[in-house]
Amino acid sequence: MAGSALRRLMAEYKQLTINPPEGIIAGPVNEENFFEWEALITGPEGTCFEGGIFPTKLVFPPDYPLSPPKMQFMCEMFHPNIYADGRVCISILHAPGDDPMGYESSAERWSPVQSVEKILLSVVSMLAEPNDESGANVDAAKMWRENREEFNKIAERIVRKTLGIPAVTQV
Amino acid sequence: MMVIMRNLSITILSLVLTTIVIGNAYYQKKQFFPSVIYITKSNPSMAILYIQAFILVILMGKLMRKVFFGELRPVELEHLMERSWYAVTETCLAFTVFRDDFSPKFVALFTLLLFLKSFHWLAEERVDFMERSPVISMLFHIRIISLLVVLGALDLNFVSHAYQSTLTKGASVQLVFGFEYAILLTIILNIVIKYTLHSTDLHRELPWEHKAVFLLYTELIMGFIKVVLYVLFVFIMIRIYTLPLFAFRPMYYTVRAFKKAFNDVIMSRRAIRNMNTLYPDATPEELAAADNVCIICREEMHAGVASKKLPCNHIFHTSCLRSWFQRQQTCPTCRLNILRTPVNTQQNPLPQQRVRDQQHHQQQPNFPWTRDATNQQNLNNAQNATTNNGASIPGPSTTLPPNVTLPENFQFFCPPFPHIPFNLAPPMPPFENLSDEELRRLESQTREGLEARVRCLQNIQTLLDVSVVMLQQYCAAAAVGQQQNSGSSDIPSTKENVPIPKENVPSPSTSNSSPHENSTNLGNHSCIKEDKNTDPNSSTNFTSAQQLSESGKSSTPLNDEMQNLTREQELARQRRLEMFDNVKHPSS
Repeated sequence: MAGSALRRLMAEYKQLTINPPEGIIAGPVNEENFFEWEALITGPEGTCFEGGIFPTKLVFPPDYPLSPPKMQFMCEMFHPNIYADGRVCISILHAPGDDPMGYESSAERWSPVQSVEKILLSVVSMLAEPNDESGANVDAAKMWRENREEFNKIAERIVRKTLGIPAVTQV
Repeated sequence: MMVIMRNLSITILSLVLTTIVIGNAYYQKKQFFPSVIYITKSNPSMAILYIQAFILVILMGKLMRKVFFGELRPVELEHLMERSWYAVTETCLAFTVFRDDFSPKFVALFTLLLFLKSFHWLAEERVDFMERSPVISMLFHIRIISLLVVLGALDLNFVSHAYQSTLTKGASVQLVFGFEYAILLTIILNIVIKYTLHSTDLHRELPWEHKAVFLLYTELIMGFIKVVLYVLFVFIMIRIYTLPLFAFRPMYYTVRAFKKAFNDVIMSRRAIRNMNTLYPDATPEELAAADNVCIICREEMHAGVASKKLPCNHIFHTSCLRSWFQRQQTCPTCRLNILRTPVNTQQNPLPQQRVRDQQHHQQQPNFPWTRDATNQQNLNNAQNATTNNGASIPGPSTTLPPNVTLPENFQFFCPPFPHIPFNLAPPMPPFENLSDEELRRLESQTREGLEARVRCLQNIQTLLDVSVVMLQQYCAAAAVGQQQNSGSSDIPSTKENVPIPKENVPSPSTSNSSPHENSTNLGNHSCIKEDKNTDPNSSTNFTSAQQLSESGKSSTPLNDEMQNLTREQELARQRRLEMFDNVKHPSS
């Protein structure tokens, strides 16, 4: 019997393959290592990220699902809740007790109830509705609040860029 | 590609230089010994030979790596580089302590140590990877076993050599080597234990519950041995030489790892104790009744694998729960803090039920009556005219006649409605009026205590049932009042409208008849009061409808009309009375 983390990741992969949520493709980078996943997220409709296809990387800890995975956008992103290097800052990816922004209650933190699918869906909704109170990218948060037009312009440029690179859309 | 080209060119250059140096010496001296002496006297020649030796060591390392590990994964390579840099720095620090007997042999020994160390790290990482890889080939096993045997033998050899050397020649740099190889030996031992555990686990059909515990204790014991070794080493070094700065970083990490292992063991023991004493094993019936997937490992729970039920009625595998409790003492599903929650008073599932409903619909509780309680909880929430998603109870909007359109400013919102217009006693909060003795009885573990709790829940359920009925009455009344209001005399729609609640009301109540059988015993209960004086209720009921229509549209006053009930309204009232009878005696 393989390790419990591996079995759970395989179960989630199977579930995501059988029943994929709309606008999300996710799976291990290669099937010999289930602890590194690639996911493609489509920008939610009706938002400034509409139409974009964003490649992301998920890295799972050996003790998954007791600890949360780490998630990072592999393309350029400009968003209040995404660090400049692409790391995603949402509360369900933080283990209780680890609070980089100091505002989250433990009720919205990581727990084994969460899953890859829920993380990705949260990220989609994060793209649609940025939380400008937790500024992982302060510039983006400020612009989102004060100069929405400019923000939309940058978002559109990023969307075009993700679509312009053929390697991104292939996977 | 660039890196490979560069490495290749350096190797070839070094080889060419070495050949030139040796060839030149041999050409000049013609014989073996004179040429050796010539080379050792010439510093540039020696430098070239040292570089050649270094490159040979690296090539050897690559070959060994290919043999024992095959291709390295990027993560492994990254870790290897990182640790190598630290090791090199520390070795340089160690040189400062032993600067007196600094010699090529000394450097060679340290290089060898570093070389072997890197193989230990890689072996450790590979064995850890076993747990994460879906496919473990035969080659993997052969490689790991042979590597462990070779490394173990070398370590043992070096330790004994260092021991002999220290005994015969007194304390020297061999002390450091002896100690370093002893540490490496503990690493080998640790890897062997882990490897055995992982391989055993791989060959089992069922998940091995105790593996995590074994790993935990291995970690603790190995940590302890390492800490003792480091302390001993530092102590001896201070006595003989000076403060061994180069050992401080690994020592710090070792102590930290030991502390973590110690904490883990304590937390794990506490979690196990809590689970064994506080929480009952889930019975096969409970497993069958619930959606029996363990939320932690996403695998089915069946009677073969031990499962536990928390005070909030969530069920998990015992082993999954144990490893989670090591980190956090909360329910993974509803985040109920299990250590702060007294187990006995948490038998009432409703507060958690609500939290859970908001979060996850898939986890259903196991008590037969909680499913209904969920719906009724929803209904309670729906008092403020929110939408109702309970399947068995029609939402307020469904009872409206189809062709009665609501005015735009019409609001289905009448905050004090449930109790005041109906002249009912407000639902008795079951816990406030209890005496101390009754509360104690509620908390006790005995059969009596359980019965008291169940009775308490039944009280709540009866109250909820009543609110269902009232809400439906309210809807019907609102519809009738609305019709009156808009002047439409669409009688069939009223008829159509009223029976809907009648059909639907028994469904929540008949599905669990036992609370209702008991509810007749609850003499002081508001539900019974309501049944006793139905007539005044129904008349106030229409008053409420009138209030509603007034508040909604503020059109012509309807007082006179309301007093002369039309035949249809009388019919509707009769139906409601029947409905009450149904609620009171669901069996009849």
